Amino acid sequence: MKTAPFIKPKFNSTQKVMLDVVLALLPIVIIACFAYGSLVIIQFLTAITVALLAEFVLSAFLLKKYNTILDGSAVVTALLLVLTLSPLVPLHIVAFGAAAAILFGKILWGGLGKNTFNPALAGREFMSVFFASIMTSSELWKTKGFVKTPSEQLLPAADHSVFSEYLSAMVYKTSGAVGEYSILFIVLGGLYLLLRNRISWHIPFALLAVFTLLLWLPGGTQLHYSTAGLLLGTIFMATDMPSSPATPNGKLYYGMMTGLVIFILIKGGVQFEYMSYAILLLNAFSHQISIQFRPSAWGDPTDWKQKVEPVFNLTIKILGAAFAVLSLYYYDLIQYVVFLYILYLITKFNFSFSKKINNAI
Amino acid sequence: MLSIPSLKKETKKKQIESLEDPADFYIPLSGYKGMMEPVVKIGETVKKYQLIAEGPNIAGKMHAPVSGIVNAFTTIGNKAFIHLINDFREIEIPAPYFDASQINLEILQQTLSDCGIQGAGGSQFPTHLKYTIGKEKINTLIFNGAECEPYLSSDTALMQYEISELLQAAKVLQNVLGSPEIVFGIEKHNKTLKTLLLENAQKIQLAVKVQILPDTYPQGGELQLIKSITKLELRKGTIPSQYGILVNNIGTLRAVYDAVFKSRPMIERIVTISGNSTSKSRIFRIKIGTPIAHILNLNDNHWNPEKQTIVMGGAMMGKSIDSPLQPIEKGSGGLLILKKLKTAANNCIKCGFCIDVCPQKLMPLEFVRHNIDDDLKSLHSFNLQDCIECGACAYICPSDVALMENIFEGKIKLSALAEKSLQ
Ligand code: SF4
Ligand code: SF4
Repeated sequence: MKTAPFIKPKFNSTQKVMLDVVLALLPIVIIACFAYGSLVIIQFLTAITVALLAEFVLSAFLLKKYNTILDGSAVVTALLLVLTLSPLVPLHIVAFGAAAAILFGKILWGGLGKNTFNPALAGREFMSVFFASIMTSSELWKTKGFVKTPSEQLLPAADHSVFSEYLSAMVYKTSGAVGEYSILFIVLGGLYLLLRNRISWHIPFALLAVFTLLLWLPGGTQLHYSTAGLLLGTIFMATDMPSSPATPNGKLYYGMMTGLVIFILIKGGVQFEYMSYAILLLNAFSHQISIQFRPSAWGDPTDWKQKVEPVFNLTIKILGAAFAVLSLYYYDLIQYVVFLYILYLITKFNFSFSKKINNAI
Repeated sequence: MLSIPSLKKETKKKQIESLEDPADFYIPLSGYKGMMEPVVKIGETVKKYQLIAEGPNIAGKMHAPVSGIVNAFTTIGNKAFIHLINDFREIEIPAPYFDASQINLEILQQTLSDCGIQGAGGSQFPTHLKYTIGKEKINTLIFNGAECEPYLSSDTALMQYEISELLQAAKVLQNVLGSPEIVFGIEKHNKTLKTLLLENAQKIQLAVKVQILPDTYPQGGELQLIKSITKLELRKGTIPSQYGILVNNIGTLRAVYDAVFKSRPMIERIVTISGNSTSKSRIFRIKIGTPIAHILNLNDNHWNPEKQTIVMGGAMMGKSIDSPLQPIEKGSGGLLILKKLKTAANNCIKCGFCIDVCPQKLMPLEFVRHNIDDDLKSLHSFNLQDCIECGACAYICPSDVALMENIFEGKIKLSALAEKSLQ
């Protein structure tokens, strides 16, 4: 016998959630294709094809589930992955990244929703570790010669006063990663997701508030970071549902800590990967945060004092982890973290996750 | 909090119609808690309003809805019923003399108990137990007109068309309880009822307050209603009367009227027939024990479980029924004919929507996790016992995770554990 409720809201399935994320990303994707033409278009196509293929084959093989490509999450992962890359990343590396994102970001955890880390960012880390020399070369970011549509052409009206240059840089510029060409579209995508209730305001708000606050500290303004990259990561990656907390207060704390860790990493000299490292690091604590900040049951008075100590401890742990990442980065040891991760995940999958594939959670 | 698109368009302004009596009645023997025992024998002729089953105080009492012959004691599904055959002669037992002006708390309790009044909002909690308040002083007497279940308009219809009965009963209850403030809670979409309520109350010199409540789900949950009206947030399991609050449902109030002014037991109730798989939405006064098949046939719907889900109660908290013989009970405010729901059953994506809509501020997804793992300690520490089974979490879940199934299972495990530790 089936239990209540016997009705469901319209347009509320997991597919619809993914579809909305794709819609929100579409303007960003289109303007990137516009900027670099076929270079970027092929990157997207490669990533999407490989992600879908990997999803289908691996999930059929490892999870014995045959329709997971229909949930749309592979497409979202592929899009997000490319958006964090330079338009010059060679296609075989893009393909590798997409496959790694699906396998090590999602499937080995037991499938969609069970992953601790954001699959796109996990895939990106795999690319940096296994193709280190290409992914970290500064040649990768010398993209000027490849631009199809320079910003002067798109925005000819822009005279050269400081103000309008600033404005046109918000609308369209051609430097940075594929997803960073239009701050305007990133923000619009975020607003769309907010309006559709696909992300909640807590994480972006707390993250940006803390980060901005820290910028105001003496010496903060000289920081070297990309606004578009920060916004892209904040809106589309830090809010990724499976890898971020589910409780409202948990989201606020998570956002705040992500902002803080981003700041620490930039301050500590991490160059391109501060966003990825910060989000991945907080991903690891997401479940703990979610539980720690759970709401008090109806009519159950909250004992704030009892909550202070565990939150303090948690904060110390997160900061400790942030400094650990920083040291590993200095001594160029990040790759060993990824190797350990692979080992951990394969072991876990064999001995535990594979037995729980049919559990919903 | 959750808001559900209104599905009451079809039923909201409908008159209350009466339904032809069936030839066979199935009178339920399961009480609020525990079972009732028949006090009649097979083959016995009974009169309308005659007591035919009773049990311990917490179970309730049942009365014959028509005159007829007790044909059998039977089971449908796995529940026990008295099968009563209607003789269509409408022979009644005489109504005992009763002077409503002489009533006091003790007499009221006895009357409610004798008349088998049970919560009509769905819980079927015996109403006289609510009025067993010892020395507590009631300051606020709340009538719950927040019919938050989509599709249902039974209480709305009562307020619309039988307001004077409701208010007269309310006046008696107020007198008995030592003049507490009376508050009618109604939802925003029903706000036109406010004037009607106030005007009619004035006619009988009754001071009432009408509070307009938000159209959220589950606004009609007792704890949520108490919060909206008195600002008090009571933990599940607390007895509101200890805080000077008493809540009655509108349908219950209507039954109280019959008990107090006519000395008649609860043998009928208002039922909304509606759903997304029927074009005939109507509101009927139906006798307790009337089988579903009879209602469906008279309403030009038919028992068709392959194509439809037939639900007793509301779409959010009701039960799907698997036998056409299952009857209307004292708590059944609706009979819904719904399209079968296709569910996807994906993995939980940790969206937290279930947490956002849970009126009890719980973490429903954790119940699934810990029930699967048989981790009773965690089920307890995540306050599963505070869940009011409203279904909001399962409604909103984009992955169609089996939240309610796991919640029910978990609760059964927890209460089994509690019983074991008592032994
Ligand atoms: S059924 Fe229980 S857990 Fe789910 S929303 Fe209602 S009270 Fe919360
Ligand atoms: S609503 Fe469903 S998918 Fe979302 S967190 Fe709750 S159980 Fe998981």
